[in-house]
Order: sequence, then C-alpha cells, then structure tokens
Amino acid sequence: MIDILQVLVLGLALGGVYALMASGLTLIFGVMRIVNLAHPIMILTGAFVSYWLFTLYGIDPILSMPVAALVLFVIGLVLYKLVFAREAASAKYSEMTVLLTFALAMSFDGLLGALFSNTQRVTTPSYGTQAIFLGDLFIPTAQLYAGIASFVIIGGLMLFLRYTRFGYAIRATTQNRAAAQLMGVNVEFVSLVTFGIGLALAGAAGSLVSFIFSFFPAKHWEWIAILMSLVVLGGMGKLMGTIVAALLLSVIAAFVGTYAGSTWSTMTFFLALFVMLLVRPQGLFGDRIEEA
Amino acid sequence: MSTNLDVGNVLDARRQHDSSLAREKRAGRPLYVPIVLLLVLAALPALQLIGGYNYVLHLALYTMMYVAMASSWNILGGYTGYVSLGHNVFFCIGGYFSGMLLAYFGVSTILTAPFAGLAAAVIGFGIGLVTLRMRGPTFIISSIALLMVARILFDNWHFVGGANGITLPQLSLDARWMKIPYYYAFLVIAAVTVYTSYRIKHSKFGLGLRAISQDEVKAESAGIDTRFYKAFAFAISAFFVGMAGAVWGEYLTYIRPNIYLVILVAANMVLMCILGGKGTVAGPIVGTVLLVLFNEFFVATMGASELNIMGTGIIMMLALLYFPNGIVGTLAQKRRLPRFLDWD
Repeated sequence: MIDILQVLVLGLALGGVYALMASGLTLIFGVMRIVNLAHPIMILTGAFVSYWLFTLYGIDPILSMPVAALVLFVIGLVLYKLVFAREAASAKYSEMTVLLTFALAMSFDGLLGALFSNTQRVTTPSYGTQAIFLGDLFIPTAQLYAGIASFVIIGGLMLFLRYTRFGYAIRATTQNRAAAQLMGVNVEFVSLVTFGIGLALAGAAGSLVSFIFSFFPAKHWEWIAILMSLVVLGGMGKLMGTIVAALLLSVIAAFVGTYAGSTWSTMTFFLALFVMLLVRPQGLFGDRIEEA
Repeated sequence: MSTNLDVGNVLDARRQHDSSLAREKRAGRPLYVPIVLLLVLAALPALQLIGGYNYVLHLALYTMMYVAMASSWNILGGYTGYVSLGHNVFFCIGGYFSGMLLAYFGVSTILTAPFAGLAAAVIGFGIGLVTLRMRGPTFIISSIALLMVARILFDNWHFVGGANGITLPQLSLDARWMKIPYYYAFLVIAAVTVYTSYRIKHSKFGLGLRAISQDEVKAESAGIDTRFYKAFAFAISAFFVGMAGAVWGEYLTYIRPNIYLVILVAANMVLMCILGGKGTVAGPIVGTVLLVLFNEFFVATMGASELNIMGTGIIMMLALLYFPNGIVGTLAQKRRLPRFLDWD
C-alpha cells in the first residue's frame, strides 16, 4: 500500500513540473495556433541560465527562476517579431509554423551544443540530494520543491488569466481571435506578449528542470513528444486540460516505470499521444477541432 | 443546333488535343540532361584508375543516397502535402531488415535491398492507414512521436543488438574498389526513385495526390479514394527510403539506432525538398546537392557537427521564410526556370 502511495506522490510532484513545462506551450497554441516544437529547447535554455548562475555565482536555481524567465521572455519577444509575426498571413500558417519552430529548435540545439557541449549536467543545490521522510513515505526534497514551485507558478498564471484585464484579452483571443479583435482587443500585441509569457514559463520550468533531471542540449527531442502528448491529451490550447493531463500521465508513467522499467515509462507518453490522436483527437477536454 | 451532340467525337477530339499538348511539352523537355548526368555519374568511378578519389566517390554516393531519400519523401511531403518528420523510421527498418539478413545469412544488402524496401513499404502502409487520419500539425506531431517510439524499440530490442547495434561483414576488396558496388547500387536506387517520382507526378495517381494536398475534402468529394491514395503514397515513399537504408548499413559496415534514428536525417530530407522546391521533380535533387555541399563546407571549415546542426536549422528557417516554394518552385513561378531543370 505504501508503495502505491509512494509512486503516486513522486508522480504528482513530477507531474507538476511537466504541467509547468507544457503550460507555456498550450498558452501559445491557444492564442496563436503555433505548435511550438522549439518549446523544449527553450526550457533547456532556461536550465542553462540557472546552471551557469549556480555554477559561477552559487545562486540557487529556485531563486534564479525570475532571471531565466526574463531572459526567455526577451528571447520570445525577439523571435516573435523576427519569425512569426510575418507568417500570420500565410495560407498554410499552422503547418508552416510547425516547420519553422522545428528549424528553430534545431538552431538552438546546435547553438547550445556548440557552446556548452553535449555532456550531462545537473545543478547541485544542497537540497538536491536530501529527502524528507513522512513515516514510511520518502520524498526527495528537490522534487518536492520543484513540484511546489510549479504549482505556485501555475496558480499565479491562472489567477492572472482570470482576474486581470490582460488575462481577459488573452482568453478572449484564445476563444475567438476575430471576435476579440472586433471587441477592441489588440490581438497582435496580445500574441506578442503571450509568446513572451509562454517562453518565460518555459524558462521558469527550465530552472526547476536543471536540478531534478540531468540535461544536455539534444535531450529536447525526447521532450517534444512528451510535451505534445500532454497538450494533445488536454485538448490543444486548454490550460486546465493540459494540467490534468500532465498529472494523469505523469502518475501513470511513474507506475509503469516502477513496475515495468524506466524505458517503458517514457513510452507511456508516446502511446498516449497516438491513442489520443486516433480515438479522440480533440483531447480529453477539447470540444471541437480546428480545421488545420 | 442539334441537341444530340456526338459525345464520342467531342471526347476524342479533346483527348487528341490534350495528348498533342502533352507531346509538345514532352518534346520541349530536355531529355539529354538526365542522360548526360547518369553517364557522367556512371563513369565517375573510373577516377579510381588514376588515383585515390575515395572522398569524391563517397561524396557522390552520399548525395545520390539523399537524392533518393529526398525524392522519396517528396512523394508524400511534396505531392500529397503531408509533412513527415519521422521518415527515417523507414530508413532504419530497411537498414535493419537487410543488415540482419547480411549478418545471419551473409546475403549482400544490395541483393536484398528491394525486399527491405518492400518491408518498409508494408509497414509504412499500415502506419499510414493509422496516422494519415490526422492532418496538418497533428500529423507532423504524430510523425515525431513515431520516431521516438521507434528509437525506444530499437534501443531495447536485444535481438538486433540494442543501442550498440551490430557490425556487418565487409567485402574483401581492395580499399580502392571497396566503394564501387555501393556506388552503383545508390546510382540505380537514385535513378529509379527520381524516375518513379516523375512518373507519379504525371499519372492519374499523382494528380489525385496533388488534389489531396490542395483540398482534401474536395478531392474526396470528386471521387478520389483519399484514404487509399495517401496510404499508398506513404508506402511508396517508405519503399525507396527503406532501400537506401539497406545499402547504407552495409556501406557503413555497422547498423546502430543512432545512425538511422536521429532527427537530423529526417530534417535533412525535409530541408532538401523545401530548399529545392517541394512538389517538383528536380527540386529535391537541387536541394540535396546544395545541402550536401554546404554541410561539407561547414564541416571542413568549422569541423563541428553541433555548428552543422545549427547551420541546418538556420538555413531551414531562412528558406521557409523567404523561399517557401524553394529554388525550383520560385524560379518556375517567375517563369525564369532554366530548361534543364524543367522536369515537371
């Protein structure tokens, strides 16, 4: 019994981090219909920011989260202006952006690889190797902190979307871009800032990733499919759906990993993606499919 | 005017008119270009008689392999409009199929390559029936997922050597002649692929595929069996990629998941088509030559494969932003396409 509880807790903590990793992706897809394949490499960029701040100046990765988020926010604004703003009129916009973000992911992958080489890295704050025991329950401190930080950020994001004017604008643009524009929302500006926010979330997730996973630039290819599975399962662009999907799949993957070996735990995400795309492509919580 | 028009005559006249137009177009097509190209490539190994030109041969062989793969990808990605970022799965299936036959029974992969292609095509048809139900971005995502699934399976499949792969026996030839059999194998594969791609583009089947890429719903309502057409295009495009994979394994003398199932191989196929011109016959060839030369230049001057990945990514981005139709496509649009590239 305690085993099951143990796996459940670890799965949930990791699920929180996955939810944060996927939240920016789903936000960007919701507002701009951009399937951002470059999202995972942006997470790694954030991880590298935190890694170097920790290695060079000893700044704790959780504290350096705002820095990573800010760096990625700026990168997001620049990329949006340079690459995506001009594509908005393209006929095969959605498909085009997939290829563009794929190329973007490759460029960043090569850049990070050339700068920092493809060796395994991990930040090692003092709590990285500790654990808390609750009775027989064993919780690694790093995952606990990462999980809590993720839930705090996601909570903040949801409050922001729910109760601020700009949050309204984002949600309106997600629901119906044309109608939002008619109601006086500056959708172009909303898109720009949302892309920035999306990447900032990736940066923040990167800081957490830097001490719970060992990472290297080429690792992001694996995450692309994992994060996509969460977004598809949650119903493309639905933030709440993505979070539920992240927690659900992460717990399932944790059980699969415990009882069938860690190789197959990654497989859970891919298989879930295939099954979902086939059986219910609009996702668990999606209500309609956009014509691509 | 009488109401009972002779329908047969009208149709006949129209058919005659169409075929005379087609003949004119064919007569205008510079047939000598591919023939000269083939002859030059066939004669190239003669260089070995006067010295060691193994590097030149390797480069030509590598280019021909990618010409085959890019042209093959073009049948699905260019004509049909379904962009697959996981097409190297079939490269891998072909490589392992023939590689295992070579390792256990000693049959040369050059002989078994067509069967490897067939195996890839059968699996491709099956996968296609499933994944081609999605379209646009979702299909692209599913193709990446397919690649990841294949990577995990091959990495953990102990019968085929897992992540370490297996070594294949080498030909007992002098180093100078070692590359020749593979060179001609790839020449044949590339030539057949390009010819098939040309024939498909000019067939009713190809017309159906292009209709699907324009508007699938309308294509379906015009009576095209889109499901079968797409899956069949997927199978054909898997076939040639599988054949290339088969010979490539023996040429490298080992097979291992990380020579086949890396994203760069898939990206190369896509980029070559986009650079040269998606959906044109000559486009993948132009794109391949350019990209291979660029890669060699990059590796020779900077020497780092990481920078190579970055360069590939940046070129892909620039090509997508500024030449979404590729070199051949853009030139054709401006009616500036030189005759020797006009194979469409």
